[in-house]
Amino acid sequence: MRLIGTAVLALNRIWATKVRSLLTMLGVVIGVAAIVALTSIVDGASQGINKSLATLGTNQLNITALAADSLTEQDAEELAALDNVSVMFVQAQNQGTIATSDNRVNARLVGVSSQYFEAVKPELALGSYLSSSSFATTAKDVVFGADAANDLGITKELLGKTVKLNGQDFRLVGVLDDQAGFGTSGRVYVHIDAARKLFSQYPYVSSIVIQAATPEQVDTLQLQADLLLRERYGLGEQTTARYTITNQASLIAAVGSITATLGLLLTGIAAISLLVGGIGIMNIMLVSVRERTREIGVRRAIGAKQSNILTQFLIEAIVLSLAGGIVGLILGQIAAFFLAIIGDWVFSIRLDTIGLALGFSLLVGVVFGVWPARQAAKLEPIDALRFE
Amino acid sequence: MADEVVRLDKVRRDYLVGEQITTALDGVDLVIERGEFVAIVGPSGSGKSTMMNLIGCLDRPSKGSVYIAGGSTNELSDNELTSLRSKSIGFVFQQFQLLPNSTAIENVMAPLLYQGLSTREAKRSAAKMLTQLGLGDRMTFDRNRLSGGQQQRVAIARALVTNPDIVLADEPTGALDSKTGAAVIQLLKDLHREGRTIVLITHDLEIAASAPRRVFLRDGQIERDEKGSR
Repeated sequence: MRLIGTAVLALNRIWATKVRSLLTMLGVVIGVAAIVALTSIVDGASQGINKSLATLGTNQLNITALAADSLTEQDAEELAALDNVSVMFVQAQNQGTIATSDNRVNARLVGVSSQYFEAVKPELALGSYLSSSSFATTAKDVVFGADAANDLGITKELLGKTVKLNGQDFRLVGVLDDQAGFGTSGRVYVHIDAARKLFSQYPYVSSIVIQAATPEQVDTLQLQADLLLRERYGLGEQTTARYTITNQASLIAAVGSITATLGLLLTGIAAISLLVGGIGIMNIMLVSVRERTREIGVRRAIGAKQSNILTQFLIEAIVLSLAGGIVGLILGQIAAFFLAIIGDWVFSIRLDTIGLALGFSLLVGVVFGVWPARQAAKLEPIDALRFE
Repeated sequence: MADEVVRLDKVRRDYLVGEQITTALDGVDLVIERGEFVAIVGPSGSGKSTMMNLIGCLDRPSKGSVYIAGGSTNELSDNELTSLRSKSIGFVFQQFQLLPNSTAIENVMAPLLYQGLSTREAKRSAAKMLTQLGLGDRMTFDRNRLSGGQQQRVAIARALVTNPDIVLADEPTGALDSKTGAAVIQLLKDLHREGRTIVLITHDLEIAASAPRRVFLRDGQIERDEKGSR
């Protein structure tokens, strides 16, 4: 029999037992829908994280002091003199208290040099950045991060008014909007000199941030910076007791590997449900072979070869599984669409997801269909005809 | 030499039932020539089902040889046996055995499709055969909408459509009332008159009497081989 004729037989049978066929497909439907939806969640989440990281600047290097007196402003000036450094700023930070006339909370006080806002460009909710003039005059201006502003109950009316940092008067000039969700939220920003006075830290800084001219130069710059600091402090090859250098690229790579692992884990869980779906198909196919023993006998008697019977049952299993895969793919994409709205990421239909879903369901059909189909094909015609 | 379509040569068939070997056929010789109408008659356990299986290329002998349309079945693989069956044998079963979820014409098309014909060719031949048997207006009916007699005629059409060497009918009236059964027997007689070779397996002496030649089986051996009407 030609393949098309066998396929028609298989489809007829599936249609003749619609309810059973639908129930049989369900396992694969759920498995594939889960894989598609979970893939899109992982995708969306890593998109979001990478977007946040990108706003921090992918070509930045953070040199963080491991002790209060590890790094000085002198280090920063030397680092700024390296090749390919485009922006540099220093930070001094410490825990402190912030207060209005009605309220008082703890926050992280961060002193930044004048280039900070230019380099990071955080979004503003209210007011403005610390202006260059405020750096020049070392005026006691302050910009609040979103959470700090929230905790303290800052409203628009307080802009330009006085707030107290560790008991000293500062003028509130701006509040940041923390869309990116990274770093700035719980902090308050003042000029680095003002911060040093607050913490009595001069001339030490808690971190130095330098930015390479291009992302490609980050790695070289990191080596150069490390070498320079080692020389300045006479450190050997092994010891890094004073500071650590991290770059955003390695952070992004780390996040990437975390989301990849997460994706693998979730896909693994979904694959188990697909496996269960496959076993469901195999189970029903075995029942079907038993039920149709006489039919198989008659078909063999009127000229069906073993291969005809095998193909018929195998196609049936594959169609069930593949149809389940298609339905699962559609349901999964619908779920992904709504998840994208909820999670506020970009919904996209990926070709590799479609390929994966259909490929897997095809595979499940073949793997779990072969055995029942072989059982059917191997039946002896005489026994099958006599079967009650 | 006359044209032999079936030759059984010292055929023995043993079955293993549990741990005991039972002999269903014990040294049987039989020749059926083209155009004959033969009834194989015997009570249950006489070996007539075994003989049907052997003639129908569903089974092979333990000893001796079975020749169908001149060729021995002994050395054939499962695929070769299936091909021979497909080409040479048309089965008519007691319980009609129409295929489930299939219309009358789909049933008649099936043997042709298994022979590798296209759907269109198969449909044309099947329609012609059903029309010849008076079922031209029932072609798209499935078995639930056909009477017993109609179902058996569809089954006969299915057996004839490949133009086989032998029509092998196993108790073809067993599931029919006597009037419908008589019509089926008449149909077989008509086919015989047209030159077909008919082998009728039955336990019913009255039905057997309609065949010009009757082979009586008992305990796996041929007891009597009668020719001519009684």
